Amino acid sequence: MDSREKEAGRYLGYGKHAIDEKTWSLVKNCFQELDRTVKSRIVYRIFELETPDEGRVKIGGLNITSRNLAKNMKGCEKGVILGATLGIEADMLMRRYSLTDMSKAVVLQACGAAMLEEFLDSWQKEYAEEAKKEGYYLRPRFSPGYGDFDISCQESILRMLDSAKKIGLTMTDGYMLTPTKSVTAVIGMSREHVPCHKKGCEECAKTDCIYRR
Amino acid sequence: MILERLGKELLYFDGGTGTLLQEKGMKPGELPETWNLTHTEEMVDIHRQYFEAGSDIVLTNTFGANALKFHDTEYELQDIVAAAVVNVKEGAWMGVHDGREVYTALDIGPTGKLLKPMGDLSFEDAYEAFKEVAQYGEEAGADLIHIETMSDTYEVKAAVLAAKENTSLPVFATMIFDGKGKLLTGGDVPSVVALLEGLRVDALGINCGMGPQEMFPVLEEILKYATVPVIVKPNAGLPKQKDGNVYYDVNPEDFAEIMQKITELGAAAVGGCCGTTPGHIRALIKRTESSRDILRRKKKAEDYTIVSSYGKAVVFGEEPRIIGERINPTGKKKFKQALKEHDIDYILREGISQQDAGAHILDVNVGLPDIDEPALMKEIVTELQSVTSLPLQIDTVDVNALEAAMRIYNGKPMVNSVNGKQEAMDAVFPLIQKYGGVVVGLTLDENGIPDTPEGRADIAGKIIKEAEKYGIPKKDIVIDVLTMTISSEPKGARTTLEALRLVKERYGVCTVLGVSNISFGLPYRPAVNSNFYTMAMQAGLSAGIINPLSEDMMRSYYSFCALMNYDKNCERYIEQYAGQSNMAPAVKDAKITLKSAIEKGLKEEAHHAAAALLAGKKPLEIINEEMIPALDTVGKGFEKGSVFLPQLLMSADAAKIAFAVLKEALERSGDAEQKKEKIVLATVKGDIHDIGKNIVKVLLENYGFDVIDLGKDVEPEVIVETVLQEDVKLVGLSALMTTTVVSMEETIKQLRKKKTGCKVMVGGAVLNQEYADMIGADFYGKDAMQSVYYAQQILKENQDNGISDTKKL
Repeated sequence: MDSREKEAGRYLGYGKHAIDEKTWSLVKNCFQELDRTVKSRIVYRIFELETPDEGRVKIGGLNITSRNLAKNMKGCEKGVILGATLGIEADMLMRRYSLTDMSKAVVLQACGAAMLEEFLDSWQKEYAEEAKKEGYYLRPRFSPGYGDFDISCQESILRMLDSAKKIGLTMTDGYMLTPTKSVTAVIGMSREHVPCHKKGCEECAKTDCIYRR
Repeated sequence: MILERLGKELLYFDGGTGTLLQEKGMKPGELPETWNLTHTEEMVDIHRQYFEAGSDIVLTNTFGANALKFHDTEYELQDIVAAAVVNVKEGAWMGVHDGREVYTALDIGPTGKLLKPMGDLSFEDAYEAFKEVAQYGEEAGADLIHIETMSDTYEVKAAVLAAKENTSLPVFATMIFDGKGKLLTGGDVPSVVALLEGLRVDALGINCGMGPQEMFPVLEEILKYATVPVIVKPNAGLPKQKDGNVYYDVNPEDFAEIMQKITELGAAAVGGCCGTTPGHIRALIKRTESSRDILRRKKKAEDYTIVSSYGKAVVFGEEPRIIGERINPTGKKKFKQALKEHDIDYILREGISQQDAGAHILDVNVGLPDIDEPALMKEIVTELQSVTSLPLQIDTVDVNALEAAMRIYNGKPMVNSVNGKQEAMDAVFPLIQKYGGVVVGLTLDENGIPDTPEGRADIAGKIIKEAEKYGIPKKDIVIDVLTMTISSEPKGARTTLEALRLVKERYGVCTVLGVSNISFGLPYRPAVNSNFYTMAMQAGLSAGIINPLSEDMMRSYYSFCALMNYDKNCERYIEQYAGQSNMAPAVKDAKITLKSAIEKGLKEEAHHAAAALLAGKKPLEIINEEMIPALDTVGKGFEKGSVFLPQLLMSADAAKIAFAVLKEALERSGDAEQKKEKIVLATVKGDIHDIGKNIVKVLLENYGFDVIDLGKDVEPEVIVETVLQEDVKLVGLSALMTTTVVSMEETIKQLRKKKTGCKVMVGGAVLNQEYADMIGADFYGKDAMQSVYYAQQILKENQDNGISDTKKL
């Protein structure tokens, strides 16, 4: 089982349990269909970043009030803002299988999420190499909606990236990203290498979550 | 007048403005459109530079000036647009020294939102936003409307319609493609060209996204299909980043050199987009102005008959296409019932199954007496387009339904149908002229159906000629020479086949035919149908309207394509039929019980087991003794954590299939199905994630509840209205985020006001018991099974009564 299959299992609530044979073959089948149908796209920009105090982050003219983000960005002088999406094709697939095969729709949902994460991980790995050459180290991705990083920041982030035009990433009036399989995030860049293993789940205060790593 | 010059001489647009604005001090994050009022001199100066460089058409600085994108409290949209037009005219006055005629183009860019059903912007709201800008632009004196950088066919349709219906200005539209010739929303080149030409834009093309060099493949494809003049406005190369800034680095000379080749290929109007400057335009003009006369150069595009959906074009050609006929109530009891009960899912599944079976286009007919056909047609077309990328054939005799559907259709539809009656042509052709479409022309008129091939061909000729008056080209008409039943018309098949050949030969048009009518009244109809189908394809049929789920028809189709070498190396044939002869009839596993089939989530086995059980038991006994215990076992396992969500749903799907078998038996036996308790489910206003709600729906249906699914992003008012209308006692609401729980609360508030005794259960990622209590819900379901138990608890009394009633029968 490869790493994205494992991730999909986690999103499906399997936790540390083994995935049953039937579900696993469905997971494989869904990844195949996604690989065939969707195209991951990303847009990113680098901005100057500062953390004036413990509760605020300033990045490229955007002022964010968030203790969690400020903690994550401490010591960074630049930051990446990024947006990525699997596009509307993924949404269509899920809609379609919601009508004919609900278990597949649910598995597709999980596989789509895992696929997007994997795409971002591999992009970040590559970009980290590039940044290292210029003497910068990358922090983990941090997205609006995590902790106290307000989801309403989506609007400014999308505008700063011109994401609608660049990759077709937009949002609803309620700050939901559309297409639904999309992510925006901030990545801190610091001169100093701070070993920082905390990401996603481990950072989250909801310790009773069944999807926790 | 620009239209007199367009397509005859090469016209020059301006280039980018972003870089120039930055040079003049515009800060990142500032709305460029406000500069029309705050920095008039700078704006005029930029326009002047382009006119001096030689541009014929200069765009107003209004790319983001629409109510959906432009949120500035200080300035009115109308003032911005008016000032923008004046600024260009001022620039022309200062920059044109040779007295040449120049034009101010009102620039319209995308809204930055995704349209429904994938996003939350309605087609109508998009239309209104574009309409407002278009009207302001015309009032202010713009000479044309230039819609650009569009990446969504649906959005560009809203923009073009708004511009054409509310102004009398020429309309140009350019889209942004990627290197593979696709829009961000998936559309390909022929689908875009078909859509825009159908909407009768005056020019179309490509802008932004790439540099000139990268545009060649896309441009060549555009030129292959487009019959209207083509616009090309590339960036100054591919974007590069340095220190957080985006820049472009193709210099004016290099840009001009490639652009010269682009004009030689056949572009009719050229300019630049991001990163291009007056220097680029000047160099471009210097290189190409000696050969501005493009009339001789312009190759005529071939006539392609194209229908399209948002993402995919179907181009008619030698290889026959399949139009699926199954979305049609005629002679289908279940389908009629689905229409009456507004069971949209049933209809969508008919579409999906036909796509899986190999259909290229889906016919959509929802006509029934006493049904609001315009509303239903509109709804079904929209919903179908959210689950299938196949183009649709709108099939109706109701002109209002036709117009309603054509207006909101994403793409260039097929229309079924018009005929040789003057009245029919007067009604249908104006719609084709306005919205675009490929229309089926039936060869009948006031005198009925001619019984000779010549007679039918004559009517085809009449239809083609009348269409010409509306500017509808021959390629947008496909002729149906009509299939007559051979049991009543002995020469029917021969006449039809002969007429097929004749219309093709005489007019060179594409043809369609509803095939299955041929065998009406005969035994073993598939044999006659499939053979006639092959004969019709041999006679040159472009598209048969058939049932793609019929194996006989598909066998004819795949065989024909293999025999005629349309199917290279017989690949598709082999894919379909490899191993066919070795296939033994499915062995029914007698050992597996229905209970175990459901527990293991085995659909096929569940089907067979249910059918086998019917020999000895009544449907209700089977439900109570086999199915409910199986579902309970799985449900409990899920709660305990030994069964996981995908397994729970596999079991649910298996149970669903078994239920269908039992339901049929119940209907056959004439027993009334037990009365089901109704539950309304909805994902609340503003929320577009509906997978959780769909899971709950499947499970509730399993347990015998009648779920009224209102979908996602549902207004509180709609939920309340449905609850009142259907007298519903339980409502389930889903919301994913804190921002949408607000609408959940509002919905509950309204429900409490209007309907007493109706319980509300809620669920969704951000909810918990505390939160649910806070917004006044009766129950918080932490997972899908909890909602089933709650529903049973609340509605149990009624349900028990229902079962005992049936038992009494």
